[in-house]
Amino acid sequence: MSIHTPIAYKCLNCGKLHYPKHGRCLQCKHREFEEVPVSSEGTLITFTQLKAPPSGIESRSLFLGVIDLGDVRYTGQIEVESIDSLHSGMKLVATWKQVRTIDNRPIYGFVWGPP
Amino acid sequence: MRDVTIIGAGMGSRWGKYSGSLIEMMAEASLSAIDDAGTDEIDAVFVANMGAGRINNQTALGSALIDYLNLFPAVGASIENGPASGATAARIGYMAIASGVHDVVMITGGEKMRVAPGPVVTDFVATMAHPEAEYIHGITFPSLGALLARLYFEKYGVTSEDLARIAIKNHQNGLKNPHAHIRQKITMEGILTSREAKLNNPMIADPLHLYDMCPVSDGSASIIMCSMNKVQEFEKTPIIKFAGTGQGMDTMAVHEREDPTFLKAVKIASDQAFKMAGLTREDIDFAEIHDAFEILELAELESAGFYERGKAHLSVREGETELTGKFPVNTSGGLKARGHPVGATGVAQLCELVWQLRGEAGERQIPNDPKHGYAVNFGGFGNNVVSTILSRVKG
Repeated sequence: MSIHTPIAYKCLNCGKLHYPKHGRCLQCKHREFEEVPVSSEGTLITFTQLKAPPSGIESRSLFLGVIDLGDVRYTGQIEVESIDSLHSGMKLVATWKQVRTIDNRPIYGFVWGPP
Repeated sequence: MRDVTIIGAGMGSRWGKYSGSLIEMMAEASLSAIDDAGTDEIDAVFVANMGAGRINNQTALGSALIDYLNLFPAVGASIENGPASGATAARIGYMAIASGVHDVVMITGGEKMRVAPGPVVTDFVATMAHPEAEYIHGITFPSLGALLARLYFEKYGVTSEDLARIAIKNHQNGLKNPHAHIRQKITMEGILTSREAKLNNPMIADPLHLYDMCPVSDGSASIIMCSMNKVQEFEKTPIIKFAGTGQGMDTMAVHEREDPTFLKAVKIASDQAFKMAGLTREDIDFAEIHDAFEILELAELESAGFYERGKAHLSVREGETELTGKFPVNTSGGLKARGHPVGATGVAQLCELVWQLRGEAGERQIPNDPKHGYAVNFGGFGNNVVSTILSRVKG
């Protein structure tokens, strides 16, 4: 499975999709899962512009949101110029990028932006 | 199961910035509670703390506090459950006494957070978030508060004015609390509607402004719990009964919750506490609500069952939750004004309940001899919540 595609963890018993990973299914408590690709395009549910980022984030402000991919939701950074560019219900697509550093190590994840 | 009481309550010096050590700060609150209880014959000490291992380079705080205060032969342990550490420790203290293992237990909560720069403290608190799904992306607790607030604004018509109204109320109460970190009168003009408001009250995590969130504080608080059958020895009146306790859980990643505006763990914890106490929401005279962000005061009041979903702000607009209102909320000033040293908060909420029920809350005392008080201590971003009900049963 490519790490550059959003994924979900599908329960091999009941089929429920999860993100993030769990050791037991949230619906049936089964322990086996398979990774399945999910849409890399989703709908913005809620968002913020954070002007006090934590250590490990270089920029002075950060756009963050919750994106509904249909099967699962992701939380992540959004690349836009201004909060005025964001509204609930807008479409966003995922790109794999460095999101921050932790203990000086680069950390990668999905960053979301307008199509 | 034996009934349990609280016979002592104390907080250290005024919360805010503490110049001594973490243990010295927790010792101040502990001694205040011991003096209030009139006994130092304590069987066990549970210390509530979230991050001393990370930001103060100290662990095993239960052992350290017993040693520092010579509480031997008391036994002890540290309890860590994020911002709900305080009420969790009290809940464990309740279990220890109710089960008959111990008779007298001291719960001391403390956190010394102002030793590190803001971004470091923000990051430390954010380690409670889901490590892969939230934390690595730069999610902080103010940002989770903002994501919730925007949903609330859009779904229920809550406004920035509503949040400011809560902050003004809690600051007003904090002015009457000598322990409060923030003792400052604020006005709608000063923080929202005037030209200067943008400077006074900058946006931190849109739509949340600085005054929509609690400060970073040092502070400590302590209670002494005792079995009901032993409480007669101390001739304490009124007797404050630990009437109800409940704990609820939810998913760690907030985005996995079907409706993120409903705090399921608050409902579970509250339902348990009310069932145990044999009380209804209408029996509660006042409440301490975990308002790390003012939007949480609304969401917790609704999820705990005091108001219908999406309606609490309407009662706030009517003044119902003010000190002189029908249902006073956060008479202590709440996290907003009293402060939020994470491990101490849940214990300080119980101190406030004890003082109000005894009629010892000074200028902020609510009228009409309150009989039942409720507290909710909110851990993680609502994935681990403890609710407590205290009742005045005699005197």
